[in-house]
Amino acid sequence: MEREAPVIEAVGLTKVYGTRKAVDDVSLAISRGEVFGLIGSDGAGKTTILQILAGILDPNAGRAVVLGYDSVRDATAINSRIGYMSQIFSLYGRLTVEENLDFFADLHRVPEPAKNDRKARLLEFARLERYRARLAKNLSGGMKKKLALCCALIHEPPLLLLDEPTTGVDPVSRREFWNILYQTLAGGTTIVVCTPYMDEAERCTRVALMHAGHLIACDAPRKLRERMSGTMLELTVRPQRAALSALRAAYPATRPYASGDRIHLRVDDRGLDEGEMRAMLERAATVLDNLTTVAPSLEDVFVTALPESVAPPVAIAPERIATRSGSAVETRDLTVKFGAFTAVDRVTLNVRRGEIFGFLGPNGSGKTTTIRVLCGLLAPSSGQALVAGHAVAKEPTAVKSRIGYMSQRFSLYDDLTVDENIRFFAGAYGVTQERLSARREWALDLSGLRGQEVLLTRSLSGGIKQRLALACAVLHEPEVLFLDEPTAGVDPVSRRRFWELINSLSDQGVTVFVTTHYMDEAEHCHTLALLYYGRMIALGSPESLRTQMRAGEMLELECDQPIAALAHFQGVPNVRASFFGDRLHLLVDDAQAARPWIVEQLAKAGHEVRRIERVPLSIEDVFIAFIEMEQERAAANASRAQQAA
Amino acid sequence: MKTLVGAVVWKEVREIRRDPVTMFVAIALPLVMLYLFGSALSLDVKNAPMAVYDLDRSADSRDLIAAFPHSGYFGRVHGIGQESEIGALLDRGKARLVLVIPPDFSERLARGETASLQALIDGSFSATAMVIAGYATAIVQDYSAKRVAKTREPGHATHGPLIQVEGRVWFNAPLKSVYYIVPGLFGVILMAFPPLLTALAVVREKESGSVQQIFVSPIRPWQFIAGKMIPYAVIAFLEMVMILVPGLLWFGVPFQGSFALFLGATLLYVSCTVALGLLVSTVTRSQLVAMLLAIMVTLMPAFLFSGFLFPIFTMPWTMQLYTHLLPARYFVVISRDIAMKGVGLEVWWPQLAALAAYTFVVFAAASLLFRKKVA
Repeated sequence: MEREAPVIEAVGLTKVYGTRKAVDDVSLAISRGEVFGLIGSDGAGKTTILQILAGILDPNAGRAVVLGYDSVRDATAINSRIGYMSQIFSLYGRLTVEENLDFFADLHRVPEPAKNDRKARLLEFARLERYRARLAKNLSGGMKKKLALCCALIHEPPLLLLDEPTTGVDPVSRREFWNILYQTLAGGTTIVVCTPYMDEAERCTRVALMHAGHLIACDAPRKLRERMSGTMLELTVRPQRAALSALRAAYPATRPYASGDRIHLRVDDRGLDEGEMRAMLERAATVLDNLTTVAPSLEDVFVTALPESVAPPVAIAPERIATRSGSAVETRDLTVKFGAFTAVDRVTLNVRRGEIFGFLGPNGSGKTTTIRVLCGLLAPSSGQALVAGHAVAKEPTAVKSRIGYMSQRFSLYDDLTVDENIRFFAGAYGVTQERLSARREWALDLSGLRGQEVLLTRSLSGGIKQRLALACAVLHEPEVLFLDEPTAGVDPVSRRRFWELINSLSDQGVTVFVTTHYMDEAEHCHTLALLYYGRMIALGSPESLRTQMRAGEMLELECDQPIAALAHFQGVPNVRASFFGDRLHLLVDDAQAARPWIVEQLAKAGHEVRRIERVPLSIEDVFIAFIEMEQERAAANASRAQQAA
Repeated sequence: MKTLVGAVVWKEVREIRRDPVTMFVAIALPLVMLYLFGSALSLDVKNAPMAVYDLDRSADSRDLIAAFPHSGYFGRVHGIGQESEIGALLDRGKARLVLVIPPDFSERLARGETASLQALIDGSFSATAMVIAGYATAIVQDYSAKRVAKTREPGHATHGPLIQVEGRVWFNAPLKSVYYIVPGLFGVILMAFPPLLTALAVVREKESGSVQQIFVSPIRPWQFIAGKMIPYAVIAFLEMVMILVPGLLWFGVPFQGSFALFLGATLLYVSCTVALGLLVSTVTRSQLVAMLLAIMVTLMPAFLFSGFLFPIFTMPWTMQLYTHLLPARYFVVISRDIAMKGVGLEVWWPQLAALAAYTFVVFAAASLLFRKKVA
């Protein structure tokens, strides 16, 4: 078989902005049909590389050949052929869904008959047919991203460049998004995608880890995991926080971190004296229940591969420990209506003091609206809400002085220095002069910016900015902290550090009410609530949700030609099949019973099954199962109503 | 399948249609500006307040004084009792003109000698001062001529001045300033608003990020710029129609020439001003900067240097050179030529040619500067 020329061949790419090297001597070769992931922290140079490959940015050195064209000389040829999605929503808000598609079809000279076919097909895949005539600006975040993808696919490009296409998108939309991608892959498209989600990176055939403009590793996710030196230990220790601090002090090189209610740490090939560790943990007054070796995640690989050590967060002196017990947030039948539209529908919940309460749900399900009510920014239509013991409707001022709020876009002033931002927010929140200096020091410690007070906020990286925003939100020592998607688009390492801060605030008695689309973050929460179209459809700890939802059992399957294999399971009742990287995930009722049947089916079709095994359900699987159950219920109700009519 | 230019035009039209507020402002503001400027900007003198310090107090002096309000240019005459009042009246603007009639005025006239008068004029606004001085002189001369005619004995040939100028003003017989302000205003208004609309047209897409999707498409810069230009040129053309009719009706301005020629020239002119806005939009990065820059390069100079208010031929030659950089300068000439003189292409073709060249250069510059690169 003759070897095909790579779709992308880049050699020695370098891009300098001012004095900063955004991309430094990066070489890549990507072949046809690959899903190639670019992962790395903010400012690692991922976007710059995509822009160079798209021909909309010229490198200072090196060259890239894309689809056989030079990215500088023949930029227009590349522009005309590829599909590209920039990080920001880049459609026309004042055009409808269909008009956006029409425009991009015309822009890429798609002939009329093909245009209508493709439009119909893409809208169906993306589940957007119903919204053809809706203005793009009125779509939810997830729908916007799906539409942007459809627009990038309308001319059937052989190469698709996607810059964080699913940031801020809920798991259900994210899954749909990836289904569209897999459909196009079946047509032979090559995909290059930047993503902060490690589970998405797992779905790639190969990933490139980037840091500070350098390519530090590039291989298939499985090979990267296998190649990682050392082993990952998983510890079940009580109490987790104390154990974590003790482990950090005793074995800093292992970079222990909390994963759900467990602790993960990496030991190098020399191993670790288990007896010594047990003794150390006992001295720290903790109980080690279990210790096992686990397969490293891609995130572990990523953290390990980073050249500089990830410093453990500074110990934050507890400032005010809430001593009162009881509820921090309490709502009863909370309802918010905008005209005829019910954004929040009879939500009843109860958040204990010091709890980390995770508020999940697809885009547009009413999470932000609920938070606005709880912050006293929006009056509820009916129902009650108490925050820190005060009714939000009657005493909004009392509530506002007891809460902190951090929105999706960190609301810092880019033109002010770190110190000026701290002083501004201290003033705005009414921190007294006597407390100011102590709180300022505390905020600098929390954000890790001591000694860098005079830096302009705009020059900070995303992860640091986010910690500064958090510090500013808690300057006035609030009892309840509301975080609305605080980590959207932030890299895994920064997110891990950010959650350390959230945990330590929780330890100090601050109640944290947080929304997120990262399911690994949901695992950190004590309690989860799942909101769907304004209604709460699930409530409980991550563990109890797993047991509540008898979603079924998950089989992971490795075989040749997975795209063709997947087609065999489409439409089969009781089997929900989806891609997971180069593997298939099959959700079945009973793994034991289904396994032989699946293997037989694939063998008949001539596929070679390399591996099939049961894997635990992720919280994302549970989340999606809840939503699908709700959708089925709603569909059943609708058809019943139709019959009645 | 549409052409690429057509695709952009189609998209722009839909976006514009869904933004009724901007459309309303685009149509309403020119009308407001037309009304305000057409009404307020006037150099005409009418019923100007005046005073007389009559030391003669004769029938002759009274006749002369009566001629002033009679002309319609001056209002009721304020009589002054003592000299000190003159300064006070001028200081407070109670009188634009003070006529001082010396005690020997009628005596000298009776002796057949030349009598003199003093006219004190408020020169704080020089343009009207000159008009007032002109009118005052004309009234006095007229009086003087009649007087000469009367003193001649009948039977003798009338001895008027040896040479009399029979002045006839062409194009604006009543010398009403609104007749030339309004046609000039058409040029200024179309320089002021359309570029503001287009100045935001490209930079808005830069801010929202949608321009990146344009970069990654086969479209060429000139096609994109043309696609942006066409719909806005049509809007600007409609703006002209919207102000042309009320402009002529409200202010009763006569229109001598051909409407077809006028609208044809308008089409070229608005293409030029719209392209200028697009050029601003391609070189800026934020809507705010684009807006300020557009005001700086279009609105302000259009007022001062287009010849709309201040005649270009009286400016220093460096400034005269500078005015050639303004499309409004050419259109103001065309507009007045058509509206007031009723002349055609044979007269103003150089201006039209200049506008055409201007439009081409601006369009080419915008296309060249619109690079399909993020940095």
